[in-house]
Amino acid sequence: MGQSSYGNIPERRSFLKLLGVAGVTAGAAALGIVPSLQAAPLGAVQPEETVEATLTRLFGSRTLNPAGDKIKLELPLIAENGAVVPIKVDSSLPMTANNYVKSIYIISDKNRRPLNAKVNFTPEAGKAYFAANLRLGKSGNVRAIAEMSDGTLYQAMQEVKVTVGGCGG
Amino acid sequence: MSEIGKVRMRVPTPTKKGEIVTVRTLITHPMEIVKRDKVGKVIEKNYNFVYKVVATYNGKKILEVETTQSVSQNPLFAFPLKVDEPGVLKVAFTDTQGKTYEGTAEIKF
Repeated sequence: MGQSSYGNIPERRSFLKLLGVAGVTAGAAALGIVPSLQAAPLGAVQPEETVEATLTRLFGSRTLNPAGDKIKLELPLIAENGAVVPIKVDSSLPMTANNYVKSIYIISDKNRRPLNAKVNFTPEAGKAYFAANLRLGKSGNVRAIAEMSDGTLYQAMQEVKVTVGGCGG
Repeated sequence: MSEIGKVRMRVPTPTKKGEIVTVRTLITHPMEIVKRDKVGKVIEKNYNFVYKVVATYNGKKILEVETTQSVSQNPLFAFPLKVDEPGVLKVAFTDTQGKTYEGTAEIKF
């Protein structure tokens, strides 16, 4: 067993080296060519975006009404590990067949791609509640924006201080 | 890593018709994040992460979550469910490799 794995080492090294070369080439390709959105696979790298750009892309020029007590946003004040930041969005907004929360957007301002998740509800859910664990790159505001079925937007926002970023190098 | 796609669900038992329960579901998944090489350039590849979560109850859609890479590894989601009748809750996770993982839970009174 020991002997055979020893024998494999040179092979593995050259393989790793090959991998490294492939990585560099891919990086160079990224510089030169911008892949078209349709052709790109689902897991392809999305371009970086500022939070303003995200908000414009998602909502255009629609106004974001302050949510007040309609949306309760639960986040830690200080997140020691940016890789796992629990978030809870609880709202008292109506959830009836013709007036309901269509979507909740979770957006963290300082992330490379600010949109964390978008939750599309149906009235079957009974109420608009959602909890997940987020990755946060840096300290900054995290917003939960609720979009009603008639298009009204409500925004709740809280700042989270991140000790160690969770989005890798 | 052999456990990728293992879905766990926790559903409280509703006590009466029409009660809204909070369902919690967890999937084992790496949710790969964008990697960079030594000079800080983003490495282009097809990253493997869950991009769609669909929850249905007795075939009726409850909610759909569009997730991105900025959701933690082994993501945990909690969402409400209004239980009007006993049935089967199904949650399907789809990742960018085209794989779909499902978890089901039966709800009784």
